[in-house]
Amino acid sequence: MKKSIYGTFLGAACAAMFSTGHAESPDAAQSAAATRIAVTTCTTCHGPKGVSISPKFPVLAGQHASYLAAQMHNFKSQTRGDPDALGYMWGMAATLDDDTIQGLADYYAHQTPPPAHPSHSAEVARGEAIYLHGEPDAGIPACATCHGAKAEGTDTFPRLAGQQPQYLVKQLRSFSSNLRNVAVMHGVAQGLKEAQMEDVAEYLRTLGP
Amino acid sequence: MNKNASTLRNGLWALALVFAAAPGAHAVPSFARQTGMTCEACHTVYPELNHFGRVFKANGYTLDNLKDVRGITAKKEEMLSLAGLPPLSAMIQVSYTQLNHPLPDGTGAAGHSQSGTVDFPQQFSIFYAGKIAPHIGAFSQLTYANDSGTIGIDNTDIRYANALVLPDDRSLIYGVSLNNNPTVQDLWNSTPAFGFPYAATNAGVSPLAATQIDGTLAQDVAGLTAYMLWNEQVYAEIGLYRSAKQGTTNPITGGAGPLDGTASNVLRSSAPYARIAYEYQWGRHSLEAGMYGAQFKFFPGGGTAASGGTAGSPALLSGPYNEFRDVAEDFQYQYIAEEHLFSLTGTRIHEAMNLDASAAANASNPRDTLTTVRVNANYYYKRMYGGTLARFQTNGSTDPLMYAAGGPPGVVTSANGSPDTRGWIGEFNYLPWLNTKLSVQYTHFDRFNGGNVNYDGQGRNAGANDTAYLLLWLVF
Repeated sequence: MKKSIYGTFLGAACAAMFSTGHAESPDAAQSAAATRIAVTTCTTCHGPKGVSISPKFPVLAGQHASYLAAQMHNFKSQTRGDPDALGYMWGMAATLDDDTIQGLADYYAHQTPPPAHPSHSAEVARGEAIYLHGEPDAGIPACATCHGAKAEGTDTFPRLAGQQPQYLVKQLRSFSSNLRNVAVMHGVAQGLKEAQMEDVAEYLRTLGP
Repeated sequence: MNKNASTLRNGLWALALVFAAAPGAHAVPSFARQTGMTCEACHTVYPELNHFGRVFKANGYTLDNLKDVRGITAKKEEMLSLAGLPPLSAMIQVSYTQLNHPLPDGTGAAGHSQSGTVDFPQQFSIFYAGKIAPHIGAFSQLTYANDSGTIGIDNTDIRYANALVLPDDRSLIYGVSLNNNPTVQDLWNSTPAFGFPYAATNAGVSPLAATQIDGTLAQDVAGLTAYMLWNEQVYAEIGLYRSAKQGTTNPITGGAGPLDGTASNVLRSSAPYARIAYEYQWGRHSLEAGMYGAQFKFFPGGGTAASGGTAGSPALLSGPYNEFRDVAEDFQYQYIAEEHLFSLTGTRIHEAMNLDASAAANASNPRDTLTTVRVNANYYYKRMYGGTLARFQTNGSTDPLMYAAGGPPGVVTSANGSPDTRGWIGEFNYLPWLNTKLSVQYTHFDRFNGGNVNYDGQGRNAGANDTAYLLLWLVF
């Protein structure tokens, strides 16, 4: 079936309304296509500009593009198997091509991470201690070693500052059970008690851009 | 009873039957197959939608992860993008219903009907639910129901939807819906078509009165509505509905139409429909508040070809008509965590009736009102165990002709001409899998068709219509 006349007309009219009037370069077109997917699809769970509202879904704003792209490829290849990856992202990523994945990764990497949520609770203090110094007696290394002193992450290790605590705890559980199969994190998460996971996650929520 | 009164009475009966069968809200696994996402992506527990499910619906059911069969021209014009596998699903409901007190025997002789009813199946449905083409999708349901013993069209919503990226990376989803039940296209479970109870017995006793927008016109009209959803927060919709009766033929040609005075309750021209809603999300919470409504003008009709009319006057599709103006408010609160899920929904529908065509002959008053209020609280633990407590209430003008007393066996009559009905529904559900539901539901009536004791003038009490309902509900 051809595109409906109505749809074509409406689409053209809307495009004219919001068009900048300039021909787009291939890169710009790729960026615009990625932005459209982010704004009209990803935002439903990951929030406006990548700052999720529901704690079930991770904040993507300010995340490193290389990490985001790697995860999308893992979803597409179904090699990341934590519950929500399987339940949501395997389907969402199945038809993404490499250019779109890179465009989405760049879009979210350029967004502003969420602000800090300062707290001086005992829970946060315990989480800070684990994050910065680890638990040497239990063989748990300091998280900061890989993720950075301010949890800003690197090209290889994800930014954790400002991340949703519920999401972080669920990921630590998934590392521990090997549903999300990352050898380094499996070792770390296995040594953490449930309460310690929650402490670290709450601490990371207090860190801003 | 004269023929006009009979016409209105039949209309009310049909209305009551539709009300009884109205719960037709379904979630279907074809969406899960199409998107590659689990049921919980769109639902708390089916058929209640979460925020993602609402946006998926607004986007025309088109999100998919399937490889398409494609057709393009040499100029890269897209001619076809067809799902490799059709998005088909099936649903079966098997139920058992026990009335608190058996019905009188339908023969009119002494004795009672059976005390319990096995529905095997109560319904069996086939769905095409998913993408049809880029930006076009459908939720369409074909149902065999054991009360009618026939296969017929059920809830259907065919959509075109698209989206714009607005400045500051906000979104505007817009589209049109072609559907056969006012509110079946709505995004929240606080409106009638997809509201609680999501499943109900078809072997119970239904009250005489229901507002027009409250399922009365389901599958009896066709509507075209246009809608927009701004920033996944603000929803607005307007549209028109027109009579599209199933199984009604023109008496002269025997064809599907055009409708004439032999048909009952035919819409005069088209009925306008409007909807506005706002949803706010914070953390695990979401809260929606909105309004919806429509204005229906009906020619009573119901004449016969043989008599040429009713009570000595032809029932032409012209002249006086009855007008029903429905204005409703609704809200929905949801709390969705990993283990605990809670929702609270409610709606109040107020109907103002101008009964110019029926007054005196079929209605005692030229103006009547009817107000329905429903509130229900739902809780689930791990999407496996849960239940609902619901309150329902309908109050309206006393109208002895519209809500008539009648003789034996009573049951579906009103001794005092009042439509007032109210009660509670308690339901417990167990879902061993996300697409299989076992339900126990109990409905208690405090008042039925205007009374508590001897409401029908034949000695039946409201509590006699209390209903225990067991349901096996499978979607696959």
